[in-house]
Amino acid sequence: MITVAPQVNQSGTSLKLDLENLGKEQTALEIKDLDLYYGDKQALSSVNMKIPKGQVTAFIGPSGCGKSTLLRCINRMNDLVDICRIEGEILLHGQNIYDKSVDVAALRRNVGMVFQRPNPFPKSIYENVVYGLRLQGIKEKRKLDEVVEQSLRGAALWDEVKDRLHDSAFGLSGGQQQRLVIARSIAIEPEVLLLDEPTSALDPISTLVIEELINDLKNKFTVVIVTHNMQQAARVSDQTAFMYMGELIEYSDTNTLFTTPNKKKTEDYITGRYG
Amino acid sequence: MVKQWFKSGSPWIWMTGGAVSISLISVLGLLAMIAWKGLSFFWPSQVVQFELDGSVTKQTVIGEVYDREMVPKSRLEAMGVDLSGFEKEQLERLLIKTGNREYVDLDFRWVLETDIKSKTTPADLAVFERSKNGNFYGYIETVIKDGQVITDNKKQVLEELVDRAVDLNDQAADLQDGDIGHINYALERLRLQEKSYLLDDALTDERVAELAQQRAALRADYLVLEKQLFALRNQAKRDKVTVKDMRGESVTIPLYQVLDFWLPNDMGFFAKLGHYFVQLGKFISDDPREANTEGGVFPAIFGTVFMVMLMAVIVTPFGVVAAIYLHEYAAKNAVTKMIRIAVINLAGVPSIVYGVFGLGFFVYVLGGSLDQLFYPEAAPSPVFGTPGVMWSALTLAILTLPVVIVSTEEGLSRIPSTVRHGSLALGATQAETLWRIIVPMASPAIMTGLILAVARAAGEVAPLMLVGVVKMAPTLPLDGNFPYFHLDRKFMHLGFHIYDVGFQSPNVEAARPLVYATAFLLVSVIITLNITAIGIRNHLREKYRSLEH
Repeated sequence: MITVAPQVNQSGTSLKLDLENLGKEQTALEIKDLDLYYGDKQALSSVNMKIPKGQVTAFIGPSGCGKSTLLRCINRMNDLVDICRIEGEILLHGQNIYDKSVDVAALRRNVGMVFQRPNPFPKSIYENVVYGLRLQGIKEKRKLDEVVEQSLRGAALWDEVKDRLHDSAFGLSGGQQQRLVIARSIAIEPEVLLLDEPTSALDPISTLVIEELINDLKNKFTVVIVTHNMQQAARVSDQTAFMYMGELIEYSDTNTLFTTPNKKKTEDYITGRYG
Repeated sequence: MVKQWFKSGSPWIWMTGGAVSISLISVLGLLAMIAWKGLSFFWPSQVVQFELDGSVTKQTVIGEVYDREMVPKSRLEAMGVDLSGFEKEQLERLLIKTGNREYVDLDFRWVLETDIKSKTTPADLAVFERSKNGNFYGYIETVIKDGQVITDNKKQVLEELVDRAVDLNDQAADLQDGDIGHINYALERLRLQEKSYLLDDALTDERVAELAQQRAALRADYLVLEKQLFALRNQAKRDKVTVKDMRGESVTIPLYQVLDFWLPNDMGFFAKLGHYFVQLGKFISDDPREANTEGGVFPAIFGTVFMVMLMAVIVTPFGVVAAIYLHEYAAKNAVTKMIRIAVINLAGVPSIVYGVFGLGFFVYVLGGSLDQLFYPEAAPSPVFGTPGVMWSALTLAILTLPVVIVSTEEGLSRIPSTVRHGSLALGATQAETLWRIIVPMASPAIMTGLILAVARAAGEVAPLMLVGVVKMAPTLPLDGNFPYFHLDRKFMHLGFHIYDVGFQSPNVEAARPLVYATAFLLVSVIITLNITAIGIRNHLREKYRSLEH
C-alpha cells in the first residue's frame, strides 16, 4: 500500500507533450477504438491512445484491468489465444497492424517484447542474442559478433558475460537472464519494445539495474511498459496510462498523473485505496 | 495401538515398499536364472567315465553329467526295474551327455544311481567339438599327420594340427563367402540384366556378346577361385586322429571336422576360465550349425540389431511429425481428440495382427507392386514381394508408432509457453519456432519414446514370423556386394531363434541351455540398446535443462 505520492521521474524529458494531438512524426503507435473479447467476455473497451516516439509509456492498473492484454495487442501476441477477438485498429506508420496484408512475423520484428519471467532459449548466451538475426538468415560471423557485443552492451550485460558467451544461458541469474532477453530483443533493432512486467520476477537489485536500463533504452526505442508497481511507473516512465476494468481511465504525462490526477478512480488507485 | 499404527501411515509405506521389492526381486531373479542357466553352459565340465553294472547291461559310459533328478522308487518299479534291496524312497537319476551321435543311438541317456558301479574322471579323456554330429568323447590314441602315425607328445601335435585345420577351413569359408560369393552375385546380376534387356526388347547382338564376355571373365575367375578352394579343403583333410570311444572301439576322426578339443579333467581353474571365454566368444561371433543346435548366434544378433535400428530410423521421423501436427497444428476439437484416442488404442492391438497386416499390405501389395514396377526381370521369383527385413522393420514401426507419438506429444506439452512466445516475439514463424526451439527441447521426450519403441520392438517375435524372420538366413542383410544394404533379404532374430531352438529342435536336450543362453543374449542386446538411448537422452536433457526454477 502506498500512502505517499510516489517520486516522479526527473530524467529530463520535462517537455510536456499534448498527447491528444500528437503530430505524425512524434507518434510511434496509435490505438483507435480497440475492443477485445475473450469469448463472450469483453476485456478491453474502446481504448484510444497515441504512444509517443522515443519515450517510455507505462500502463498501470489493478490486476485484470487489461493492461497486459493491451500490450499484447501491439505485437499481436493475442493471436495465439484461440478465443480472442479484436475490433478496432492499431496504427504503426499509419498502417493498421490488424490488416489482413500484414505479415505478423515482420510486425513482431518491428515490435519486440520482453515477458514477465525471463525466458532464455536453451542455447548459449551468444546463440540467444543472435537468434533473431539467424531467423533473418544473417550468417556472417563478424556481423553477428558485432551485434552480440552491441546488444549486450545495450542491455548492460556485456561486462558480466563477455568471457562466457558460449556458456548456457541458464547459468545466468534471473536478473541477468532478463537483461539477456532484452539484449535478444534489441539485437534485431525493433522500433518499439514492449515490456510486460519485466521486473516482477526479480529481486530489488536486479530491478534497479533493469530500470536504469529502461532509461537508456528510450534513446533508441519507443518503450511501452506494463507494471503493477506504481513507483516503478513513476520512476521510469514519461507518460502513464491508468486502466481500470478494460477501460483507459486516464492518460497523461507521468508527473501530472501522479501529482494531480484528473479522475477520481486514478486518485483512488494511486493513493492506494484499491488495487 | 493398532489404530495408531494405521494412522501413522507405516502400513502404507510397508505395502508400497513391499510391492517394489517383490517386483525388483522377480526381475533380478529372472535375469539371474537366465544368466546362470545360459552362461554356465560354456563352462568345460568334467567328463566322467561310469562303469555300469545294472539290471540292464554291463557297460562303460563316458560323458558329461548334464542334469540330475530324484525319481520315486514306486514309479521305477512300475516301469519294471528291479529295485529289491534298496531302501530309499527316492532314487537319483543322472542325465549324461555321451556325444558320439553317429555311433550310439542317443547322445543323451539316463543312468540310475543304483546301476553305477564306479565313477572316474581320467585326465586323458578328451572332448572334441566337431562341425558335424556334435561332441565326441574318448581317449586320444594316435595322431596321424600326413599319413604318419605320431604317438609321442600327442596333445601338442594335435593342438597344432587342429589349429592348422581350423585356419584352413576359415580361409576356405572366407574365400567361399567373399570372392566366390561376389562372383555368384555378379553372375546373378548379369542374368537379371540380360532378362531385363529381353523384356525391353533391347537385347541386341552387341549386348549379347558383351554379356557373354563378362560372364566368361567371371567364370574364368570363378574356376581359379574354385581351384584354390578345393586346394584349401584338400589340405585341411590331410590329418586325422584316432580316438577310443566308450564302446572300446577305435574311431578315426578327420581333423577338418574338428573345431576344437580339450581335456577338461586335466584343466586347472584358469585354463577352464580361458576356455570358457573362448567358447562364449564363439557363441557370440559364430554362425549356427546343425539346425541351430550348435555353434553361435551371430546372424541372429546382427539381424535383431539391424532390424531394430532400421525400425528406429523409420518410426522416429514419422512419429515425431505426426505428434507435432496433432499437438501444434491440429484444431483442438472432437476430431483431434478422437484421433488421439485411436492412436493410443493402436498400442493395444495384438502384435500378430500387425504381422498379418504387414504380410497382407506391405509384402503382397507394396512389395508386389515394387516388384512389378522395378524388378520385372526377376520374375517369377520375388524381390520385395516376399517377407524381408525392410517389411519387418516397417511392420514394427507401425506397431511402435503410438508409443513415439504419445511421448513426443507429452514432451511438446511440457515445454513452457513462455519460450514459445519468446521465439514468436522475435519474429519467428510457428514453423521456425518449432524446428529451432520446440523440437530440440522436446528431444529428450522423443528419445524416451524411442527407448520404449526399441524395447518393445526388440522383444517382438510373433509379427516377424509373418514378415521376414527365418530359421536360417544364408546371408546377412549387410555385406560387401553393392548396394551393401539388402533390405529385401530375410534375416535371423534372437527372439525367433529362441523359439526355433527351444521348440522346433530335433535335439531338445542339447538345445535347452542354448535357449537360456540366447534368451540372456536377447535381454543383453535390448538392455544395451536401451542404455545407449538412455545415455543420449540424458545428454539431451542436460543440454535442454528446461526453465524450471
